[in-house]
Amino acid sequence: MRRRGTALRPAWAALALALLGGLQAPQTGFADEAPAPVPVFVEEAKPAGIDHSYTGPWEYFVGGGAAILDCDGDRRPDLFLAGGDTPSVLYRNRSATGGPLAFEPVETGIPERLLENVTGAYPLDIDNDGIMDLVLLRVGENQVLRGIGDCRFEPANRRFSFNGGRGWTTGFAAVFEKDLAFPTLAFGNYVDRSAPGSPWGTCDDNVLHRPRAGEAPDYSESFVLTPGYCSLSMLFTDWNRSGEPALRISNDRHYYRGGEEQLWALPPGRPPRPYRRSDGWRHLKIWGMGIASTDLDGDGLPEYALTSMGDTKLQTIDQEGDDLLPVYRDIAFERGVTAHRPYTGEDMRPSTGWHAEFQDVNNDTLQDLFIAKGNVEAMPDFAAFDPDNLLIQQWNGRFVEQGDRAGIALDRRGRGAGLADFNMDGLLDLVVVNREAPVSLFRNLGREDEGRRPKPLGNWIAVALSQDGANRNAVGAKLSIRVGARSLTREIGIGGGHASGQAGFVHVGLGVAERAVIRVRWPDGNWSHGYRVFANQFVLIQRGDENARYWYPPR
Amino acid sequence: MPCWKRIAAPLLAALAFPLAAGASDLPPWSERVLGTPLDLEAVAGLPMQERIEALRARGERLFIGQFLVEEGAGRPMATQAIIPTKRRRPPPQRFQRLAGLDAGACASCHHEPVIGGGASFTANVFVSEGFESADFDTIDPQFSNERGSPALQGAGLIELLAREMTADLQRQRDEALATARRTGAPAIADLVAKGVSFGRIAADPDGGLDVSAIDGIDADLVLRPFSQKGVFGSLRQFTVNALNHHHGIQAVERFGATWTGTRDFDEDGVEDEISAADVTALVVWQATLPAPSRKDDLPDAWRQASERGEDLFADIGCTSCHIPALPLASAVFRDPGPIETAGTLREADVEAPLEIDLAALDFVKALPRDAEGNILVPLYGDLKRHRIADARDPTLGNELLGQRFVDRDVFLTAELWGVGSTAPYGHRADLTSLDEVIRAHAGAARPAREAYEALADDDRQAIIAFLRTLEIPR
Repeated sequence: MRRRGTALRPAWAALALALLGGLQAPQTGFADEAPAPVPVFVEEAKPAGIDHSYTGPWEYFVGGGAAILDCDGDRRPDLFLAGGDTPSVLYRNRSATGGPLAFEPVETGIPERLLENVTGAYPLDIDNDGIMDLVLLRVGENQVLRGIGDCRFEPANRRFSFNGGRGWTTGFAAVFEKDLAFPTLAFGNYVDRSAPGSPWGTCDDNVLHRPRAGEAPDYSESFVLTPGYCSLSMLFTDWNRSGEPALRISNDRHYYRGGEEQLWALPPGRPPRPYRRSDGWRHLKIWGMGIASTDLDGDGLPEYALTSMGDTKLQTIDQEGDDLLPVYRDIAFERGVTAHRPYTGEDMRPSTGWHAEFQDVNNDTLQDLFIAKGNVEAMPDFAAFDPDNLLIQQWNGRFVEQGDRAGIALDRRGRGAGLADFNMDGLLDLVVVNREAPVSLFRNLGREDEGRRPKPLGNWIAVALSQDGANRNAVGAKLSIRVGARSLTREIGIGGGHASGQAGFVHVGLGVAERAVIRVRWPDGNWSHGYRVFANQFVLIQRGDENARYWYPPR
Repeated sequence: MPCWKRIAAPLLAALAFPLAAGASDLPPWSERVLGTPLDLEAVAGLPMQERIEALRARGERLFIGQFLVEEGAGRPMATQAIIPTKRRRPPPQRFQRLAGLDAGACASCHHEPVIGGGASFTANVFVSEGFESADFDTIDPQFSNERGSPALQGAGLIELLAREMTADLQRQRDEALATARRTGAPAIADLVAKGVSFGRIAADPDGGLDVSAIDGIDADLVLRPFSQKGVFGSLRQFTVNALNHHHGIQAVERFGATWTGTRDFDEDGVEDEISAADVTALVVWQATLPAPSRKDDLPDAWRQASERGEDLFADIGCTSCHIPALPLASAVFRDPGPIETAGTLREADVEAPLEIDLAALDFVKALPRDAEGNILVPLYGDLKRHRIADARDPTLGNELLGQRFVDRDVFLTAELWGVGSTAPYGHRADLTSLDEVIRAHAGAARPAREAYEALADDDRQAIIAFLRTLEIPR
């Protein structure tokens, strides 16, 4: 039997909680079971100046992405929102530091026709000029937009000799391969609508664009990744710590025949090749919608969350013996992330999951999992009211659904999304693109305290890397953040989620640590020395510098 | 309820503790320290003097009391680390001088010449981050640094000075950043707080800040005035650290379920060991300890020597770091304070901080004020870190480990108020006399040390005479 030390007696507890703002964990069974702090989100898209929906017919049942990027060089995250058959919009971030969120649409210089039929978007500095570019996934020709500063862009398909194809693109990922000056771009295509018998069994091929050698990006060569199985999401991943990225593709079984989840090897200078059964790869058939990866168990190998219709998968490598094979075990049930049906309301039908993203939303050092949810359109066998998930990781490794407490359980059909600190207060905010409904923009107010004023969450740092020459933003780098006896890791990648990506500060919750030591494994595999930083700071690390610099938002 | 409680509880509550500190249900012979929770809200509603008295009464009880195992003393599965860190296995002994526990009570090491003071070499502590070396049982300095226990008298004023200096420095930083953003050109700013220079910063128009030229302070420009290294920002932070390190009493605000997932992080069978309210009482007790003063009953010879020594102390450059007094604008001590981070109670964790006006205390009333009404706090320090050892004399850099990003030979300027009462000296409390510790100064203090050594014997004696007037009253 447990003893209590100076445990609060009820009468005193009531008074103390008023004064001390609920510092004590609420004395309930649920709180004991899931004591990790729950952030409070308030939806404020409209007052923030964002009024946008993702709309359109069948082709836009999927997609609906958001790109989070700094388009004007002020280091604050701006927001590009796909619109389907509605023109996409770029919003400049005008949020006061620590204050309500505020955005304004900006004139981008992008021809209107290119902003239509957009399913998703990913930010990436393709030409290494220090200005963020933008890749638009479209129904029709995909478009690379070259950033020219102050949130203006110019079409660059011709400039970069990039053939955007004519497909129905819903997935994207990018990586800087060894010794290549420009990124390799992978595009995931969905159904080939022109094929006989479409849509059943007519999944389009995916495409990989490797840059040719030269002074400027030249994507005139491409590899067709066939067979394609109706990809809805893809990411590059160093699944075996080899330093060589592989391409993980999540596919929608709804339309494919004989398909499966895929993993492609990218041997340097050689064509990509799919992992097969003989390589250890196991057949897995899901309604793959979105991917996220993070290293949950600290073994240096990523775990993958795969959203689907019904239950979400959480895969960890199943290593037996010394050889590392791409054999994965599903730990979603034991970790509590199946998220297979709505957690609130009366609708007991299965869920439909889309964007997945690991982030530490409560700054307690533990990665949490956000999943955007929403019926494809009106599928009768799946939940109509299907709120987004906020699965908060507990110290025992299990995740507990807290979407309702957090205030994000809206009746909207979520698709793409992104977690980013829009008002630069150290708390991750949330944007969700919804199908045929307004975009949701949630501001994180802090720790939920039983209806009282929200309280602060844990300590944090936000890290931005830079290096000279190619790959200025260090895509593919790994951060190892030492706090006490623990190492927290983050990887800088472009891809995954559902049609949504981001670039900019990497957010790291530090819990009660007042300082941290950051080591960087740069994309070429070289490790930095340790950078000593204090908590609750934005940190700039330029490769080769002895010390990190701090950055402060305008006040 | 046992019959003794029915009879005795109301009476004991009134007799044993101030009523505002909470009704006691403990018998007078109870050995428990933490048994009676503090009613902080009731205390906060009291008039200032009564508020201070109530908190001091509770705080003193906690500071002096020998914590019991049954109320949480001991941490079988937690290290001494500031960040909650699990041991690999329980220690063979509950008490252990190195990794701790090393004390049953705060007063075990803070008691000379009075409770709250310092202690001799026998009460040294071993400072280790406690992350990787949870099980060490050696005095090999690669695992820890040995430090003397400092006196806490005047700590409230020290923290208030540090808070004001932090605010000044961060305001200068914000102004430099705003200037750089406005002008589009880098802005250089000299950092100065209360006349103490902390180097300079360079702000870029994009909001980046170069802190490579700061001096004697952390890069976040938070002045941390506590510990000999100057690495703890507040009495509250230090108290939460020390309760765990030295006693295995774990504060809910850091070791509780919110940040560790369990209410019994150290697995000793006791949950929620010390509340935020009781930590507040401990903080207030320390913050209100009377500051050291000047001996005023000197025989003529000592007085004359002291007066001459005080002048010499300034003449040879000692006061460039051991500044006689720093001005304090406000003596209102708020708990929690403004610079806390998660793991120590923060201002935003509470509806309103508790306020204690130190100006209501006699020892503060007795301090002089300058023309602007600032309280002149006679600390004989600058609240700044300096390199205090060099290759020729490493005595005061006698550690192998840096601590919390601070190099091994860099320490906070020791405040000399009370120095006449706090022998032995040095970070390890292993220098027996004032003369010896002055002659150990090196690094940035080498010019002053050499000037001292160049003085005639009687001049050096005059300086000692002066320093020995700075005492902690008994």
